[in-house]
Amino acid sequence: MALQNLKGRVAFIFEEDDFDVDQIVGVKNIKIQDVDELAALAMTSYDPDFSKEVRKGDVIVGGRNFGYGHPHYPPMKALRHLGIAGVLAESFSPGYWRGEISMGFPQCSCPGIRAAVKRWDEIEVDWPAGVVRNLTQGTEIPFEPLAHSDALMLEAGGLLPYLKMNPAG
Amino acid sequence: MGHTITEKILARAAGLPSVRAGDEIMAKPDFVLAYDFPGYTDVYFKQMKEEFGIDKVAEPERYGIFIDHMVPVATPKEEELHEGTRKWCAENGVELFERRGIGHQVAAEVGFATPGAFVVHFDGHISQLGTYGTLGIGMRRNVLEAFVREKVSIKVPETVRVNLTGSLRPGVMARDVFHHIVRVLGPASCRFQVMELGGDGLEGLTTEGIQSITCLAMFTGALTAIVNPDQKRLDYALPRARKKLEPVSSDPDATYAAVHEIDLSELEPIVVVPPTPANTRNLSEYAGLEVQTGYLGSCASGRLEDIEIAAKILEGRRVKTGFSLHVIPTSQEIMAEAARRGYISTLVEAGAFVSSPSCDYCFGRIATMTENQRAVSTGTLNVKGRMGSPDSEIYLCNAAAVAASAIEGRIADPRKYL
Repeated sequence: MALQNLKGRVAFIFEEDDFDVDQIVGVKNIKIQDVDELAALAMTSYDPDFSKEVRKGDVIVGGRNFGYGHPHYPPMKALRHLGIAGVLAESFSPGYWRGEISMGFPQCSCPGIRAAVKRWDEIEVDWPAGVVRNLTQGTEIPFEPLAHSDALMLEAGGLLPYLKMNPAG
Repeated sequence: MGHTITEKILARAAGLPSVRAGDEIMAKPDFVLAYDFPGYTDVYFKQMKEEFGIDKVAEPERYGIFIDHMVPVATPKEEELHEGTRKWCAENGVELFERRGIGHQVAAEVGFATPGAFVVHFDGHISQLGTYGTLGIGMRRNVLEAFVREKVSIKVPETVRVNLTGSLRPGVMARDVFHHIVRVLGPASCRFQVMELGGDGLEGLTTEGIQSITCLAMFTGALTAIVNPDQKRLDYALPRARKKLEPVSSDPDATYAAVHEIDLSELEPIVVVPPTPANTRNLSEYAGLEVQTGYLGSCASGRLEDIEIAAKILEGRRVKTGFSLHVIPTSQEIMAEAARRGYISTLVEAGAFVSSPSCDYCFGRIATMTENQRAVSTGTLNVKGRMGSPDSEIYLCNAAAVAASAIEGRIADPRKYL
């Protein structure tokens, strides 16, 4: 089984470094469990029409050290519910990275990505080729390869299926 | 070419003659630690049984569970969680440390900080065991791996060496050293790496102070922090150690991703301004800002030296009327010693609210702030909503600054009280 390439539009670019993902749903909503309720709140402070504009398979782009602070799981649950298929960033904060990889949510560390895309560009993350293609602009840049265990975890669909598929360790 | 202490610890844990940064290995943690928390331990215990058919952990002596959050409980549901934890520990023969204090500190007191050991937890503040030459890594949910199999997958991290020189001036504490490191190196300076502290400056810091620094390593992006343990640290850790291991240290020719120098004598008291741990400023820039509450405690601070300096500042003085000062010693052991030395009575007489150890003040479960309130705090984190309303604010600072601010009801420079 191979990791499926991501192909979709850049639904939003978080320009700032050290982005705290809790802002996506707002800190006051961080304890909400219901995913429909979370999805209705997600991104509203950045773009009130986000939930109408986003399509299944779209991706989010971020800056350096994306996920810094004290990341919780609800914001990305909300984005996945809206159809977001993965996050590409200049670099990631380790706590956020581990948390989302364990949820089976593809993350792609790609230095230069922020300057290489505009909002709504169509892009493809080609895992075997190790490149991100901007299909709209006809350009491509390499990304940092996934650790083997991270790739296996994403392929399996998250921590639990990964551990079940690799019981011996 | 030599090896870092991290490489040596992971090589042994992986059963390999040597490993290098970048190697992807399977390593057996010497100890697996966790505190009970909804969505974490209750889920692991359930998944172990239901998803993996594991009724009992194989080597219970490798595990340690702490009850330090939701202490004391406020709802029947919280007590139900603790009951489940007690039951699981009893069934598994795993030692439970309940109401002994904040687990990361208790872990050191009861010998999980075995020099040379590899320790995993879901919470990253376990990095503070690095003070004793122990490699403590927070794996978030992935720590489940350590509950259902012997080894965990890990990529051997690179190491960033931070050499401390000189000594701190009065009123400047280890907390300030960490925040200064974030200021000069940056919040992403050690991403996915280990922050190894060294240099002559370490000798002037207390073991407690080093624990304050290593505890907070995650806010540089580091997976953990570690120190090559000197005699002082070994004298504390070896008699308590739960496992007989040879302490290890980095070789002089070990490879570092970067080496930085920090002169401790240049530091001033610092405040970390909301809403991120990266907003590090000199306290003097914020002196005079009105604050309503103060928290002295947490797994980062709240040890004897923190309580001692607060008592020294508050002796013969009063907490300002209307200001809420909460002093929560990090562990029972620390609290008992603070009481013996008279610090607790000094603080109480000055008007402080002193409570037994608990994690609950740090994340706003109790002593919760309402909107537009501000705290000075030695807690771990200042993100929005961490200690209550998302519209309240947390200014992180050292214990002396919390005590000084409690007198004035405003952010205050502790140096004038020393």
